[in-house]
Amino acid sequence: MTTATATDKPAPAFRFNKLGTGSFQLDLGILIFALVVLALLSQWLLLDSSDLDGNLTSRLKGPGFTGRDGIYHLLGTDQLGRDLLFRVLGGLPWSLGISGVAVVCVAVIGTFVGLIGAWYTGIIRTLVLLGIASMVAMPFLVLALVVVAVVGRGFWPISLTMGFIAWTAVARVIYAESRGLLTREYVLAARLFGVSKWSILIFHVLPGLRPTILVMAAFFFAVLLIIESALSFLGLGAPLNAPSWGNMLSDSRQYLVNAPWMMFVPAGAIVTSVISLNLIGDGFAELSRKRARAVEV
Amino acid sequence: MTDIANEQKPVVPAIPKGRSSGDTETIPVTQQTIQTLTKRVLELLFLLMFISTLLFFLLRLTGDPAAVLAGETGDQEQLELIRKQYGLDKPIIVQYGVFLYKMVQLDFGSSLANAQDALGLVFERLPTSFTLVIIAFTANLIVSIPLGAWLGSRPDRTGRKLAATAVFIAQGIPGYIIGLLLIQLFAVELRWLPSIGNQGILSWIMPAITLAAFQAPQVVRVISANVAEAMREDYIRTARANGAGFNTLLWRHALKNAMLGATALIGAQVSFLVGGSIITEVIFAWPGIGRLLVTSVQTLDFPVVQAAVFMIAIFVYFAITMTDIVFLFIDPRLRRQRA
Repeated sequence: MTTATATDKPAPAFRFNKLGTGSFQLDLGILIFALVVLALLSQWLLLDSSDLDGNLTSRLKGPGFTGRDGIYHLLGTDQLGRDLLFRVLGGLPWSLGISGVAVVCVAVIGTFVGLIGAWYTGIIRTLVLLGIASMVAMPFLVLALVVVAVVGRGFWPISLTMGFIAWTAVARVIYAESRGLLTREYVLAARLFGVSKWSILIFHVLPGLRPTILVMAAFFFAVLLIIESALSFLGLGAPLNAPSWGNMLSDSRQYLVNAPWMMFVPAGAIVTSVISLNLIGDGFAELSRKRARAVEV
Repeated sequence: MTDIANEQKPVVPAIPKGRSSGDTETIPVTQQTIQTLTKRVLELLFLLMFISTLLFFLLRLTGDPAAVLAGETGDQEQLELIRKQYGLDKPIIVQYGVFLYKMVQLDFGSSLANAQDALGLVFERLPTSFTLVIIAFTANLIVSIPLGAWLGSRPDRTGRKLAATAVFIAQGIPGYIIGLLLIQLFAVELRWLPSIGNQGILSWIMPAITLAAFQAPQVVRVISANVAEAMREDYIRTARANGAGFNTLLWRHALKNAMLGATALIGAQVSFLVGGSIITEVIFAWPGIGRLLVTSVQTLDFPVVQAAVFMIAIFVYFAITMTDIVFLFIDPRLRRQRA
């Protein structure tokens, strides 16, 4: 280990070169996700609250329909004559917002618990590992379903519930990674210098975990987005009138014969967001693999 | 699922006396089976304890449990009666003790909706759900493993690249959307398959595909990545030099080794499948435990919710432990543990 000082400490995770990140997947994912976020921001400029109201004279009309009131419905209307484009846009704060808040909770709690488990030995580690192992096996849709039913169906109850339930898989990976990092020589050196526990964990171990956290966060964002829509789809997520994508899908089930576009519009929105997040996750993973290979050579 | 604690052992393990080669020692299968069982049972007990505690305190933190139990129609007299009946007038610590004591006996009380025994209701629905999950699980493996191996064997060919892209896109489509698409196509447009309920063999097809679709793309991708990696290993080159054909290389040598990395994922599959089965059962109006859970959560029928969550946890643990042990017997490498 003569080159220990050069290779031991992880270099900065991802470097942005001239244009793009060096991974096509990541570029594409970021591009699509940026468009989704742009759509999220645009609605405060473009969308009035009255746009979400329905007009019963133009119920269940297909894409490209112009109503009697002269409003053009690009993506068609639903069973109450509400414009689907506006509803999909109005669903963005629910779907992206809830899973966004949840993914922050998941990353923070998961990293914290994983680090605690890796640092301490004895009873604390045993408890952390037992907790993670037992919780990981429980399908978290089941837990989320039950908890949300009791605590209520607003934005914050749903997002916090999902955040406090789904962190175990992250904690498990962070634990394994930081066990590895804690055996590195620079950590030993820091300990010999008398650097405190929290300084080592936050300033020396955490930066090395960044690639892992980014990858896991991107994938969990997608998973939580799916879970959020699933909850709404089951009628136990966002309030019934909220234009959440899961609610729209759930509404569409009764009109699959007459108005299939009611299903395709929210389904397309969910699939686009999930694919862009999966691309970002895969891209980050690819970049960190490339970097690891570069360090080895 | 291998123990993380053993994977990342930081200190160089001491080589046992009388052993000169390698730093690993094979633990007998029976002994390791018992270890796995003990570990899983411990985890399950911890989980059940956690869930029941969570449910107990959630129900009390969010308001008057008597009001929840009575439903919207309960008046003052009914509330008093329910408080007496369920012991809600006693101190909370006593209530908790009684609650745990009943959990240990698997006594969940009776359904608030129709006064049937909650556990009985769950047991009634369990076989249909169980069969659906098993069918989806098997179908998933039968399709995903060969497909993954095929994709991973020559990942740079155009056809495989396109197929891999299709799998990637499929991974982005949640299972319930696939379920809706299937209904749209086969039940609404083509009228080939019944869309709701359990009406004979045909009605199993769409729910099984939907459920399998929840995880199949992920399995395909992991297997394909592992196979691609295995095909670059030295032993493959040696086998090829010895004159083994491509098919032998792929199916007998590379795939076998690639499966090791996929084992953990396949074990974890069960949990995802059970989560997915809840939505699948609702979409297809399937008379299973998932739909029972959703309806009882919607009506806040807590005895049934508790019984269902308990049985789901036990079922998932049973399935994961079985997978662990089966793979332990199939794959000799899992039997090795660092000394």
